[in-house]
Amino acid sequence: MEKNLCDYMLEPDIIAATENVMPDLNNDLVLAKNFLKQQSAATGDTLYDHLVDVVQKILSQKPPDVVDHFEQYSWQVKQEKFRPNFDLLNDVYLSPPQLAVVRRIEEMFRLVKSKAEKAEDMDEEEQELDLEEDNVKPRIADLIDSNYYFKECGFGLPDSECYAVYIALNMLAIKEPVSTVRFFGKIYGTKENYYVAETELTLEELDRRIREFELKDMPGEGEGIEEGQMQVAEEQKEMLGEGEGKEEKPKEPVPPKLPPEPVSTWQPPPEIPVERPGQGVNKKVFWVCNHPGEQWICLPDVTPDQIRVARLTVRCMTGNLDAEVQSFPPFEGTERNYLRAQLARIQAGTSVSPQGFYTFGSGEEEDIDLEEGGGDLNFNPNPFYHGHSMKDLLDSSLTYWVHHGRHILKQGRTLWWNPNAGMEEGEEEEEDEGPPPLEPESGPPLFTSLSEDSRLEGMTAWSVRSSSSLTPERAVAALRSNLWPGAAAFATSGQKSECMYIGWGLKFDPPNYGPAQLPRPQDEYPIGPEVMEMADPTFADEEAYRIAHLPPPPPPVLEGEGEEFGEEEDEED
Amino acid sequence: MNIHKLWEYKEYVNVNGATLNSEIISLLQNSLTVLQVENHFTIVQYWGQIYATDLDYYIAVGLTNDALTGKKYFYTTDFQFWSLLPRPKKKYKELSLITTFPFRGDPSLKIKVLDESFEENHPDRCRFMKEENRLAATISNICEEVEICARGQLIKRPDGSITINPNFYGLTATEAKELKSYLHMRPAQHRWNTNLLTRPDYNYSMDFLDSIDQDIPKGCWNLSLEKTGSVAYLKSLYWPGMSYFHKVKTSDAGFLYIGNGRKNLDVPFLI
Repeated sequence: MEKNLCDYMLEPDIIAATENVMPDLNNDLVLAKNFLKQQSAATGDTLYDHLVDVVQKILSQKPPDVVDHFEQYSWQVKQEKFRPNFDLLNDVYLSPPQLAVVRRIEEMFRLVKSKAEKAEDMDEEEQELDLEEDNVKPRIADLIDSNYYFKECGFGLPDSECYAVYIALNMLAIKEPVSTVRFFGKIYGTKENYYVAETELTLEELDRRIREFELKDMPGEGEGIEEGQMQVAEEQKEMLGEGEGKEEKPKEPVPPKLPPEPVSTWQPPPEIPVERPGQGVNKKVFWVCNHPGEQWICLPDVTPDQIRVARLTVRCMTGNLDAEVQSFPPFEGTERNYLRAQLARIQAGTSVSPQGFYTFGSGEEEDIDLEEGGGDLNFNPNPFYHGHSMKDLLDSSLTYWVHHGRHILKQGRTLWWNPNAGMEEGEEEEEDEGPPPLEPESGPPLFTSLSEDSRLEGMTAWSVRSSSSLTPERAVAALRSNLWPGAAAFATSGQKSECMYIGWGLKFDPPNYGPAQLPRPQDEYPIGPEVMEMADPTFADEEAYRIAHLPPPPPPVLEGEGEEFGEEEDEED
Repeated sequence: MNIHKLWEYKEYVNVNGATLNSEIISLLQNSLTVLQVENHFTIVQYWGQIYATDLDYYIAVGLTNDALTGKKYFYTTDFQFWSLLPRPKKKYKELSLITTFPFRGDPSLKIKVLDESFEENHPDRCRFMKEENRLAATISNICEEVEICARGQLIKRPDGSITINPNFYGLTATEAKELKSYLHMRPAQHRWNTNLLTRPDYNYSMDFLDSIDQDIPKGCWNLSLEKTGSVAYLKSLYWPGMSYFHKVKTSDAGFLYIGNGRKNLDVPFLI
């Protein structure tokens, strides 16, 4: 028996058994340690080493409540151990991911700095001639200052972005022919975001663009296309007609004669002319970039049709200017044009300022153009504006806030264009189309108070809040749009006011969006007996028909063919 | 967002342009610390703001033990009195999605909701709802659909309770670029092994929640890395005021909702 036991016993046990000694603490420790030092077959690790590592990590890092998260620690230690060692590749230097951004911004800084230095030199050298220079210098709206106030109101760009964008605006002013630069806002996209700058062009550039626009917009082209289409249609008709004629002869059973194919009577509605650069919706020129420091890209002018379609669809920007725009009333152009159309809509809807902040004209030509209802007047900051009291600005009726964005009419223009005006000279067809002179569309004039904005299901279009309840003396009035979530404006009781848009470029449309319905399919044939469904003749009818049409008895030979032809002719009659 | 870290997070918060100004942060920290003491919460978080026509609602969350189920929501309009929100009822959660009225700012206001899916004369066609209940239901809807956390931010302890992981060191830059690294903060709706086995480096204590990359349709989440790639922002197209940020390789992360409490149902057309 004892011998058997010996076989199963390990060496220390044998010693203990044979020498019959008392249990020894050291011995137990050795035993336990041996057990802990057993190597795992899978990894080659031992629990002993692992515990040492864990204890060492805990003691060196001294985290709180270790016992509650002990498993976590053990797991971390193991994870660290399994991390492969890239010693061989350690010499390869991996540059931080920020490098590309830094390069881009550095270039921008260098450009702006060199310009600033040059300007300083100029100042020193020719102070007398400076007056002219100042006129040429583009005006850049102080974004950093206005962003400070926006942040007071709980809105705006983060500081890090704000500064970079401001420098980027400076770069835009240096590189491109612009006379005023203002930060419009930021439009989110699914892949990239857009920063948008709103500018006015210099006079020379504006002239150049107007000339280009007029060359492109020579009259006559549109008519040519229409005529061409008509010709094509006619040709097709002829072709069809010929086809029928050819087919008739060889085949024996004569097909029923088709009624004439209908010609589409649909006339495309007259194209609404685009507003020329520097006018109406195209008054401002927008530039966008994905990151501050990148090249600013000029957005093309918007056409009335693009605004019309943009109003009928919803779509997120992607961040790629050349992305396709898929919408049901087909959108003419890429995301570039769509973005521009949305910007025009946002600008028209959310440009607000306290009453009196802007004034028509520059003070000299005030009385000339007022009759037009503010359609295409110039307005400028009012030098005599002294601000309103906080109480007035925070009044929930918003009578002290006015729009300074021109209302875009249903036509997609800010100035109404009479579709009949040009046609009176043209062809005769139009005369029957528009007998009564169309009533000109009109929108609210410039500087209409926000209290007259339409309400949405019991919600006002704008909400006004005070930026501070504790210190009313330094509070700022903050206005946010409920119609265009992301649009905001502020006004101090002093002379500062600005508006900005940061959002998805989507309008809040309370009942959800439903795509426009497809138009009814047009009839292929004019309704007549040939294309209508009729009841089949009963046996009695057929019998009566047969008896009525019995062939005269004398010629009995040509029965078959004669009958057929006869029937056909009769049917057609 | 943990209210004691609001000053640090101030720079990262940006929901459609909306940020936190110093006054709001001070007011929140003061009143919410008092709330924390009164209710013996371990953590109090600022949840967000819901726009209303008269007075905006500010929402806070108190956590006791369980980070997923033991949440208590409070609201205020003046930063002085925080009131406990009632439990969201299923009935109100449905109604709050239908109603189109804006919030008014008066919790006791009764609103009439017309459910057009019922026929005329049906007793359920026209129902009433208190604004307080609507607020609770809206918040519960938002939490269920878009409240998220980075993977590893919440862990399941061996005893089944879910806590905020004190040893969360943040996602790495590559992980932060993937939607799979962000999880819904709600009791899991997918099968447990779906959540666990769809990633190669699965971990029982972390992967017990649904990841957001399985949400329908693809593209309803917008993930962007900003500030030269050091902060990941997540925005949901369904709830346009929702925003989540996570600073890469740190434990800093926060969820915030600032908006009008309306779900955007046009998402399929947007993408």
